[in-house]
Amino acid sequence: MFNRAEVVDTNFLKFVKEWQLPPGRSQNAFKDSGLTAAEAIDLFESQVISRHLDLQARLLKGKNECFYTIGSSGHEGNAVFGKVFRKTDMAFLHYRSGAMMVQRYKQLAGSTPIYDLLLSFVASSEEPIAGGRHKVFGSLPLLVPPQTSTIASHLPKAVGAALSINRAKDLNLNTVMPDDSVVLCSFGDASANHSTALGAFNTAGWVAYQKIKMPIVFICEDNRIGISVKTPERWIERSFSSRPEINYIKCDGLNLFDVYIKTKQAEKIAREQRRPVFLHMETVRLLGHAGSDVESTYNSISEIEKSEFDDPLLHSSRLLIENNILTQDQAIDIYESMRERIQAVANYVITRPKLLSSKDVAATIINTKKLQEAPKLLDDKEREKIWGRDFEKRDKPHHMAKLINWGLTDIMAQYPNTLVFGEDVAKKGGVYHVTDGLLAKFSHKRVFNSPLDEQAIIGAALGFAHNGFLPIPEVQFLAYIHNAEDQVRGEGSTLSFFSQGQFNNPMVLRIAGLAYQKGFGGHFHNDNSLAVFRDIPGVIIAVPSNGADAVRMMRTCVKHAYEYGRVVVFVEPIALYMTRDLHQEGDKKWSFPYPELSEAVELGEFATYGSGKDLTILTYGNGTYYSLQAVKELEQKHNIKTKVIDLRWIAPLEKEKILAELKESKHVVVVEECRKTGSFGEALLALMVEYMRPLPPVKLIAAEDCFIPLGLAATSGLPDKESIIRGCEELIGITK
Amino acid sequence: MKKQRVVVICPGRGSYTKSELGYLNFPSPELAQAIKYMDEQKSVLGEMTISELDGADVFKGSIHTKGHNASALIYACSLADFLKINREKYDIVAVTGNSMGWYSALAFGQALDHQGAFKVINTMGSMMKEQLIGGQIIYPVVDQEWRIEPSKTNLVMMALEKVNSQTGSEVYISIRLGGYYVLAGNRQGLNKLMELLPKEGDYPFQLINHGAFHTPMLQEVSESAFKTLSPKLFHKPTIPMIDGRGVIWTPYGTDVDELYGYTLGHQVTEMYDFSCAVTVALKEFAPDKVILLGPGNSLGGAMGQILIQNLWRNINNKNAFTACQEQEPFLVSMGIAEQQKLVI
Repeated sequence: MFNRAEVVDTNFLKFVKEWQLPPGRSQNAFKDSGLTAAEAIDLFESQVISRHLDLQARLLKGKNECFYTIGSSGHEGNAVFGKVFRKTDMAFLHYRSGAMMVQRYKQLAGSTPIYDLLLSFVASSEEPIAGGRHKVFGSLPLLVPPQTSTIASHLPKAVGAALSINRAKDLNLNTVMPDDSVVLCSFGDASANHSTALGAFNTAGWVAYQKIKMPIVFICEDNRIGISVKTPERWIERSFSSRPEINYIKCDGLNLFDVYIKTKQAEKIAREQRRPVFLHMETVRLLGHAGSDVESTYNSISEIEKSEFDDPLLHSSRLLIENNILTQDQAIDIYESMRERIQAVANYVITRPKLLSSKDVAATIINTKKLQEAPKLLDDKEREKIWGRDFEKRDKPHHMAKLINWGLTDIMAQYPNTLVFGEDVAKKGGVYHVTDGLLAKFSHKRVFNSPLDEQAIIGAALGFAHNGFLPIPEVQFLAYIHNAEDQVRGEGSTLSFFSQGQFNNPMVLRIAGLAYQKGFGGHFHNDNSLAVFRDIPGVIIAVPSNGADAVRMMRTCVKHAYEYGRVVVFVEPIALYMTRDLHQEGDKKWSFPYPELSEAVELGEFATYGSGKDLTILTYGNGTYYSLQAVKELEQKHNIKTKVIDLRWIAPLEKEKILAELKESKHVVVVEECRKTGSFGEALLALMVEYMRPLPPVKLIAAEDCFIPLGLAATSGLPDKESIIRGCEELIGITK
Repeated sequence: MKKQRVVVICPGRGSYTKSELGYLNFPSPELAQAIKYMDEQKSVLGEMTISELDGADVFKGSIHTKGHNASALIYACSLADFLKINREKYDIVAVTGNSMGWYSALAFGQALDHQGAFKVINTMGSMMKEQLIGGQIIYPVVDQEWRIEPSKTNLVMMALEKVNSQTGSEVYISIRLGGYYVLAGNRQGLNKLMELLPKEGDYPFQLINHGAFHTPMLQEVSESAFKTLSPKLFHKPTIPMIDGRGVIWTPYGTDVDELYGYTLGHQVTEMYDFSCAVTVALKEFAPDKVILLGPGNSLGGAMGQILIQNLWRNINNKNAFTACQEQEPFLVSMGIAEQQKLVI
């Protein structure tokens, strides 16, 4: 009664044998499809393989050998997508894509879909894509980046990947996908409601509306239910049939021929017209949401049985038998021989090794294999041509915004696959003019404005990166990252991990952020917390404190993104963009000449100001600026010797080198400009407490756990010169 | 008792040597009938019969290795072994083969009937009767323990590139054969290759009376085959077959025209990836045993190397393979009398 897998399995044999097959819902017939009989059988065989993989997963789970039972049963109509689309059309798939994957595998001679997919069920370390880290549909030769998402977070990057195809052609770049490729992206009816999905549809439409090529097929596999929540009748059609710029095509997922005809139509629009399509495949869900889901707790038995009778395999059998392509016995023979074959492979697969240690699991967080060498540096003659008159000014001291701007100029000139995009970055040159002039220098193909949607910006970056670009997207303010956080956390940072470094999405995500804007902007323009990034494994986080460092650090970031596919978050302190002076007005001690092209700051490399042992301040970003002001006064007032360490990098952290640098310090103060709770400063304190023996007196001077207000009190909760002096004096025991 | 699932592998050219003389000398009405048919056809064509070749007192390289003689003779021996397999105990779940072994696989998968099989095999074997096009050499890319050595594969690749850059030289990878590459090309190219590849025992070893099989040099042979052989000879198989690209041809889903096209087209003019075919057989069918048909056991080493490449059953080197074979052979070579007993 509760084992619906058994019921569905038995039904197939019984109903085909006794010719009790469900009537068709749609009219399209074999003769209209253009398929040959062999092709129709081939599709059916993929459906059968997918079904038996699902059934086998349940059996293996019963033996404690399988760790993932969300299946594709009911969705087997998607086998057609594996046939119609080319294996060079990048595919971002959801977790019910078994038949589609099996069929796509058939485009690659010598591939082994049954073996590979069973390895993924049992989380074997020999599984070719994730190496046992997750059950994913993914394959490098089939251009299917692995997805773990259940919340449609793969849609924005699919849009980016689609946008990248013609962009690569325009720029004459040799990228991953051929020029005439399309991108496909599948998801369920329930996740079509997700804001991430809706953002992606909007972006696709927004782009297409401007007559920019957007060759994408969104495939909504509508089984009318999301776990236990029913999708309102005809909601998907109502919601998506008249979206601007997106062609809507509906097909009957229970009729292979109908799916084939409609998918060919969708493909034609995307491939030839380079326009987005929403392909709506109506189908059923069988075997519940997952192995642990007892559907009868929320669906009546008659509803369950109704869906089971609409089993796509029964429909396919009827269609093939009615068209004299197979006999009943042959359909059953295909089904039963595949059962035996999959059982045999499963019996073998469970003997294969599993990941056991955390070290092995973590081995793929970062890709360590060099993917390519950075292009050679340009000579001065070439640079001067691009820079124009600014080239003569580079030896003079300048503020951070100008230096980063020149840094980006050199980077874009050196790396032809870099793109700069985000809100206002093009003609306006960014809110703080950091991207000023780049549009004129590198054209709108490489420097362009995005819609006002951070999810779309980072998603586009991921998609471009999948196709061989090196995006340098900008998010205008740190507080704006939060609605797009998952694009970094759930997608960008996990790709190497779940593909063993086979897929990478390099990017240098520039974010103007942090506080100290002298009363302007309030919380949303002064957000001072980096906790959102700090716990994400593998992400590089840079926070320069001055313009020269910013340039040298960005060069390193871009190089690592290019050569190793790294994901970098580059946080630029807004308050320091235009800062020129350090101790007094006009001293220009926070203005720097543009660093020579050969100069770079390596990952984890920190800067040390002073060599005193009485007091060491560990800090970064704005903290460095205020600490340097503070120690000057502390040294003069109290005749003490100090050292300020500008860590520059929040991640990765050179823990041993930092501890070595602190070794002889009599007092250590951590100055943290971010909100105290969950801050980097807390981690530094923990590091010292755990490893420094003997532990000198230590203190954390951090921002209050409060949001930044407008007006005079804007910096009241932040460390500044005075509060740092006060805190250091307290720690050292100096009283006034 | 549940039948054991087996994959059958058919050997290619070069598998019939002097020790195989008399291989067909065993009673089987079905085999006798097949040989009778082939002998009759051979006589009509004015060629030595299979019975004559197998029954000869002496093995003569100049006779037995010639394509028009060797091909049908090898097929007949493989057929003999195939018929011996105890089908009460063993369920053949897939068939594959190396090089001309693909034609045998077509026959045993029943994509070709006996007559069709003979027609295809004898025609293809006789294509270069007058004059061989190019030749083949074999070269190992494994270490002593049969594990692939990337430096050796690189060396072969570089040698191929170098030879191909010289005017008048033409060389290709013909077959990926476990731990060996079979390389093919024109005479000048092969001579250069022989000079460039470091000597390792008998290798590089030139294969006698072999043409530049599975290379674009056989384009004319392919075109001629399409003209000579009718697509009507081909049928849907009854047993899944795995071709020289690792593609599985299923009993119902096979497009017979495509099978015909592959067999006389791509299969003739492009690299034959035996390693891949066997890998697919292992992974997609997970057989209890692999049966290597005779004549001979010349593919035994390559098979072991493919198992090692796939860490199949945790076999990771030659010793492990030997130990596995001694304990309870996973690979049963019917060309070895002791092992043949296990499956008949």
